[in-house]
Amino acid sequence: MLNLIFYFQVHQPYRLRNYNALEINKNHDYFNHTLNKEVMDKVATKCYIPTNNLMLKLIEQCKGEFKISYSITGTAIEQFKAYRPDVLDTFKRLADTGCVEFIGETYYHSLALLYDTNEFLEQVEMHRDLMRREFGYHTTTFRNTELIYQDRLSDLIHEIEGFNTILTEGADRILNWRSPLFAYKNYSGVISLLLKYYQLSDDIAFRFSNRGWAEYPLTVTKFVNWVEQLSLAEQKGRSLFLNLFMDYETFGEHQWEETGIFKFMEKLPEYILKNPHLGFAQPSDAFQLANYQQETLAFPEPVSWADAERDLSAWLENDMQNNAIDAYFELLAKIKQSNRFDLLDEARKLSTSDHFYYMSTKYFQDGDVHKYFSPYDSPDQAYIYYINALADLEERL
Amino acid sequence: MKILMFSWEFPPLIAGGLAMACYGMVKALLELGVEIDLVLPTKEMVYFPLKKVEDADTLPVVFLDPVRQKEYDEFFTTKTASTTESVSTILERLEFIGATFSPETYISGSELKTWSHIFEKVSTIKYEHTRTEERVWENIKEYLIGDEDIFKKVQELTIRAEKYAQVLDFDVIHAHDWLTYPAGMLVKKLTQKPLVSHIHATEFDRAGGAGDERIHKLEYEGMTYADLVICVSKYTANMIISRYNIDPGKIRIVHNAYDVDDLSGLQKERIFKGPTIIFLGRITLQKGPDYFIELAGQVLKTHPEARFIIAGSGDMGRRILYRSAYLKLKNKLVFTGFLNRKDVEKILNSVDIYIMPSVSEPFGIAPLEAMAYGVTTIISKQSGVSEVVQNAYKVDFWDISKMVEIVNYLIENPEDCKAMGERGRLEVQNIGWTEASEKILKTYQEAFQIYDSQTH
Repeated sequence: MLNLIFYFQVHQPYRLRNYNALEINKNHDYFNHTLNKEVMDKVATKCYIPTNNLMLKLIEQCKGEFKISYSITGTAIEQFKAYRPDVLDTFKRLADTGCVEFIGETYYHSLALLYDTNEFLEQVEMHRDLMRREFGYHTTTFRNTELIYQDRLSDLIHEIEGFNTILTEGADRILNWRSPLFAYKNYSGVISLLLKYYQLSDDIAFRFSNRGWAEYPLTVTKFVNWVEQLSLAEQKGRSLFLNLFMDYETFGEHQWEETGIFKFMEKLPEYILKNPHLGFAQPSDAFQLANYQQETLAFPEPVSWADAERDLSAWLENDMQNNAIDAYFELLAKIKQSNRFDLLDEARKLSTSDHFYYMSTKYFQDGDVHKYFSPYDSPDQAYIYYINALADLEERL
Repeated sequence: MKILMFSWEFPPLIAGGLAMACYGMVKALLELGVEIDLVLPTKEMVYFPLKKVEDADTLPVVFLDPVRQKEYDEFFTTKTASTTESVSTILERLEFIGATFSPETYISGSELKTWSHIFEKVSTIKYEHTRTEERVWENIKEYLIGDEDIFKKVQELTIRAEKYAQVLDFDVIHAHDWLTYPAGMLVKKLTQKPLVSHIHATEFDRAGGAGDERIHKLEYEGMTYADLVICVSKYTANMIISRYNIDPGKIRIVHNAYDVDDLSGLQKERIFKGPTIIFLGRITLQKGPDYFIELAGQVLKTHPEARFIIAGSGDMGRRILYRSAYLKLKNKLVFTGFLNRKDVEKILNSVDIYIMPSVSEPFGIAPLEAMAYGVTTIISKQSGVSEVVQNAYKVDFWDISKMVEIVNYLIENPEDCKAMGERGRLEVQNIGWTEASEKILKTYQEAFQIYDSQTH
């Protein structure tokens, strides 16, 4: 059996406004509310609402055979509540179907794992509480920000009661000759790992509408045909997992409706389920379904799902990014030491990885993607406003 | 005494310090009874006849072309019925004559026809046409060439100089910096009136060493051909003597001044709780922002509570930004970007220490303004302003460890820091343009006499 596991990332950051140095100590509002509302409105209309409705319809049609999973950040949920509560309602309806798994992560979509273990654990706990509160869901699968994973993460997640699976990138440099279709164990053998099958995931997420791509246009028949070829690798009745991980905004936002992305998704479950060797599963099913000795995989260095390098360089490459994040975690520690919990929420909104992504100066292939996703004219500006905000926050101590 | 003055900037048309210096001296000269016909690189061929002190602010306009003058008069008499002219209408008038805020847009290069014919005319003037003179005009012709916008504009101003020479009546020609030297020289040649060349900044200062060869040649010729040269400092005088071989006997030093307001009652409005140190100016090689960044890194090691501000913009901005990140200055250093006048005043009123680590600063008026706000200043010895003020720390721009020592001392002894700032504040109250303009007037008279005795 080959199980398709869909996991969709739902995230919106709090974008900073052009926060000038002369405003330090005068104006403590760092965020661009107008822009954040505008983006939320746009993405809700183009993506969240129509895609959620489609998923609801598919789940109903397939009578429990079609399963999906979501990771929704705390900053996204807060902005749903502020600007588009209707989006949160449709996610709640999805939760009620029982065919949807919610995945744990850091509340603020942060890089805390790499800098401050206690902060990381606190943000994981906050997110878990949020999932319980909003969807009545107890998370057992974990994904770290941008699928960043290394051995140390599995140690930390294993310590938290109830988590048994982690999602990450099927990076070539870790897998070598191995297939991402198997379920693996972390280096110490205590946590299950599901690895993104990046070719097929990115065929949908990035290449779907690319007319320069040899396989354009991607039809459902073609895609299912590729999936069926994969299932030939299935041997001795072992359960395989095709992990299709992507941004939820792929639907209607990165790939516009005109590209046919919704029609593609609408037909996919039916075509998959026609084949008795194919089916859908949730990440938490893998723990039981894996009917073989799972091999352990060591990740001594961090991997992620971003850019061609699949490492941390999208957020932590140049001096601006490194200085900004060092300054941030130094300040966060100070805020906690001085018991200024009133400042903690604002401070944590600045921990979101997007702020560092905007400072990226990778100007070649991936730089285009960075520019597309950045609200600023240049990485320099993103850096200047961020540092100014940190300077003001420190003055408030 | 009537003066024909060529300048590239004059408020409200401001690119750099030259505008403010010209404004200060012109106003003070008018007070002394000097009359000035001011020529700027305007799109329309006009001059500004300045007779009373107020004229420096209202800028009356005269067109060389009477038809255009009529059009202009009609346009503005119908437009403004009121007797007192507001600031906005002055700006409107300047707009009309094509003098917008950035001097880069003064003259459109496309209007430029052949320009070298002007020098052919010069060489037909037999009067006093010596071999040296031949070389001068050959050089001007050769080096006033370039496709850059700025060179086109200088060519245009030079061509027009002939017209101004024909129409206007004056005793002395006064030209500010290389951009107007060829125009000044040409008028001297055509009218045989004495020329005073004023040097505010040399190409050596701007480039941080040898710069554009053409500009060096024009500076050399402009000062050599002048009857007298006014330098803004001893520092600049030494520079033009050693680099351009200008005859020390014809150099007059007139330090720039700054008419400050008395700000003694002003309450400081801090941005940062911690001791705050500022770099304020263009972020260019000449201003030494890189020394400021290194200093910040070292001071923060001893005093993590210190805060640093870089205010301004310039071609080195990105390099300095990246360097500050590389040095891990965290959120202890912030960048404001370009600031308008109001914001400059606000920020000066928020800081404790001002540093001007310029590599080469012919004068450097900015520290005087900082001092007016009672801010303790540390200034580069490689500057003209260091010859003028007493109550400021003076350090070689490259001596970072000395600067660090001073800043650390001031942070550790805030009372001393305050006292120094207060002494500086009092000192700059006495640095006004009146004294400087008296020296300039004396220079005019001298030039007039030298010339008079030569020609008669």
